[in-house]
Amino acid sequence: MLSNNNPSLVLHGIGDLRIEDRPTPSVSAHEALVAVTKTGICGSDVHYLKHARIGHYVMEEPMCLGHESAGTVVQVGAAVKGLKTGDRVAMEPGVGCGTCDLCREGRYELCPAMSFAATPPSTLGTLARYYALPSHLLHPLPDNVSFEDGAMMEPLSVGVHSVKTLGRCSTNEVVIVFGAGPIGLLCMAVAKALGARRVIAVDIMQEKLDFALGYAATDVFLPPAKLADEGLEAYAARAVDELSKKLAVPEVGPGGIQLAIEASGAPSCVHMGCLALSPGGRYVQVGMGAQSSVPVPLFHIISRELQILGSFRYGPGAYQLAISLVERGLVDVKPLITQRYAFLDSGAAFEATKLGRDVDGKTVIKCIIDGPLAE
Amino acid sequence: MASANIQAPNDQPEPADFKPRNNPAFILHGKLSTSFGELPVPSVGPDEVLVEVKKTGICGSDVHFYNTGKMGLVSCTGDMCLGHESSGYIAQLGSNLAAMARKADSEKGSAKGPAKQVLRVGDKVTLEPGVTCRMCPDCRGGRYQICEHMAFAAYPPFDGTLQRYYKLPADLVYPLPDSVDLVYGAMMEPLSVAVHGIANVGKLRTSENVLIFGAGPVGLLAMGVAKGLGAGRIIAVDINQERLKFAKTYAATDIYTPIKQNADESRPDYSLRAAKDLLSSLGVPVRGPGSIDLVMDATGAEVCIQMGINAVRPGGVCVQTGFGPPDITIPMFRLTTDEIQLKGCWRYGPGDYPLAIDLVARGLVDLKPLLTHEFKFEDALEAFEVTKAGKSADGKTVIKAVISGPE
Repeated sequence: MLSNNNPSLVLHGIGDLRIEDRPTPSVSAHEALVAVTKTGICGSDVHYLKHARIGHYVMEEPMCLGHESAGTVVQVGAAVKGLKTGDRVAMEPGVGCGTCDLCREGRYELCPAMSFAATPPSTLGTLARYYALPSHLLHPLPDNVSFEDGAMMEPLSVGVHSVKTLGRCSTNEVVIVFGAGPIGLLCMAVAKALGARRVIAVDIMQEKLDFALGYAATDVFLPPAKLADEGLEAYAARAVDELSKKLAVPEVGPGGIQLAIEASGAPSCVHMGCLALSPGGRYVQVGMGAQSSVPVPLFHIISRELQILGSFRYGPGAYQLAISLVERGLVDVKPLITQRYAFLDSGAAFEATKLGRDVDGKTVIKCIIDGPLAE
Repeated sequence: MASANIQAPNDQPEPADFKPRNNPAFILHGKLSTSFGELPVPSVGPDEVLVEVKKTGICGSDVHFYNTGKMGLVSCTGDMCLGHESSGYIAQLGSNLAAMARKADSEKGSAKGPAKQVLRVGDKVTLEPGVTCRMCPDCRGGRYQICEHMAFAAYPPFDGTLQRYYKLPADLVYPLPDSVDLVYGAMMEPLSVAVHGIANVGKLRTSENVLIFGAGPVGLLAMGVAKGLGAGRIIAVDINQERLKFAKTYAATDIYTPIKQNADESRPDYSLRAAKDLLSSLGVPVRGPGSIDLVMDATGAEVCIQMGINAVRPGGVCVQTGFGPPDITIPMFRLTTDEIQLKGCWRYGPGDYPLAIDLVARGLVDLKPLLTHEFKFEDALEAFEVTKAGKSADGKTVIKAVISGPE
């Protein structure tokens, strides 16, 4: 029996979050309605709170937030097969058109008509009681995968897409990850699960490195402080040199770094990532920083034939692998859930994510908010 | 599945007052039993187009259905309209497409053009007649051609294109350049099969050498594609001399007639001997520069498939397009130790139709020599009989017969 209201967390403008009732979505033949149980918050949600835009995605009208969710199916459309009321699912919140060249060739994440939760021009988000999605975007959760784990499948799928699909990480490779925030940590976890021999975490905060080392990294590196009059290129070269010596990483040959995941967006890390790679190495840019243009070591890219790849959200097979990795115990997402909030305390969750610390001073990695119908 | 956020200002198809004419169709009732009937005119959904079909080519599979009432594992269970190789004009646009056309018209002259060519009523188009679900892992993973929910024209139980009107989702019709006539537009379907095999699955690169078994329509089109993509040597194999001679005038650089099998020779032994004879008589090395990089089988015959695996260079690729017996024997030892890839090839997938159209539009593939027979709609049965016989009454060999749409 569906409730007759749909409390939703709606962003009206910069800093203006309100809980209000929104119409309960109806489902078309191929869709299902989910009662959302758990939702994680992403840096992008906070960015909308602060700026009401990200790049060319501009909020023109009030928008419900939230896109990292799991829940229970409460209604299925007439044509839905294989999914039924009561099923526990992870929600893949991006609806592509299915018919454009990019969708048809298996790159649906790039669909120009993509309708994505909590992203303009959509006004819908998963921080609500109910959310409707095409049934093929609702991925069943095995019994041993909790709803909280389920909410983490969204960012974990970003990690899978970056490290596996685009990064082509394979067993025994040496992988370096820049940025030990939630995405960086999940990328490290995927690399480890795929059998990487070494997973090197780089961050400017020792606290984050300490956590990474206990979580999925085999090695950590705190770059030296940049000197006042040191150019970016010289600094990055010095930092990579120090890393190579400290961690005994050869420039070429066995043990060299074959895959660099850039999950910070910081220009110095972009530069370091390219410099750290062995010849033929792969560099995947998943982190979005403030700078939309950054310098890169072009000669290095050419002479070592580095492959520079952009990574956006997730594509075919990502959710399936993410769920499998958690089900099989190859990735544990629980340590990344640092705070939990009731739906009515969503504002505090956003505040904590924005500050990086909660009101008790504890570091934030991932805040999870209960759905209004939390069990 | 269109995004829910795109609101058509007006939810009418275009033309909103479209008055269809009748819809005569050429229908198969069962083995060797056809007649003309009337089928209802489909109404278009928001993202679909209604095409007035003008030209339809006949495929071996159509003839096989006609001749036997079945093909492989599939049988005709009831009446079915035939035909799937078609071209025509857009008669009606679904409401979302109509809105897109209006929007594009209003933005004419602006620097930012539409991402994809906008469809309009009256556009000359070729049809990709396989509707897939868009939702399964195969569709979403870029291989819609093997979608388990494929609804394909003239494949039971789905009606085909030998009728006046046929509807398809917009992404499955492709505008034809002015320089490409409708009759050649109808050949884009089999050409796309060849493109899929040679370019997509086979990944032929310029200057590679390709060996093609079967100089029927699919084999000939594959030779044409190989030539258009800049292949080095294109070797055609057939047991029919007339077909081989034609292949040499068309796109093959070399032709080969297999030596005869000896009375007490096993087929695997024979295939190996014939493959060696092929290579030596054409001066093709077994490996290294000049060797065969890619083999396509367009016959389905076990002996050809065996020969192909024996003739390809180590590390080479064999693409299987031809249908034959469902289970055959292959030289597995050679496949293993020389790391040969044997790849199945089914119809066409992402990018094949656009490449096919491009190859013809740029003159890299010439379809004219393959168009041997044309028929009026009311002579459709004769078209099937002639294709089945392989020759028309005047003795002309059939490569591709094309039937016009109803007047």
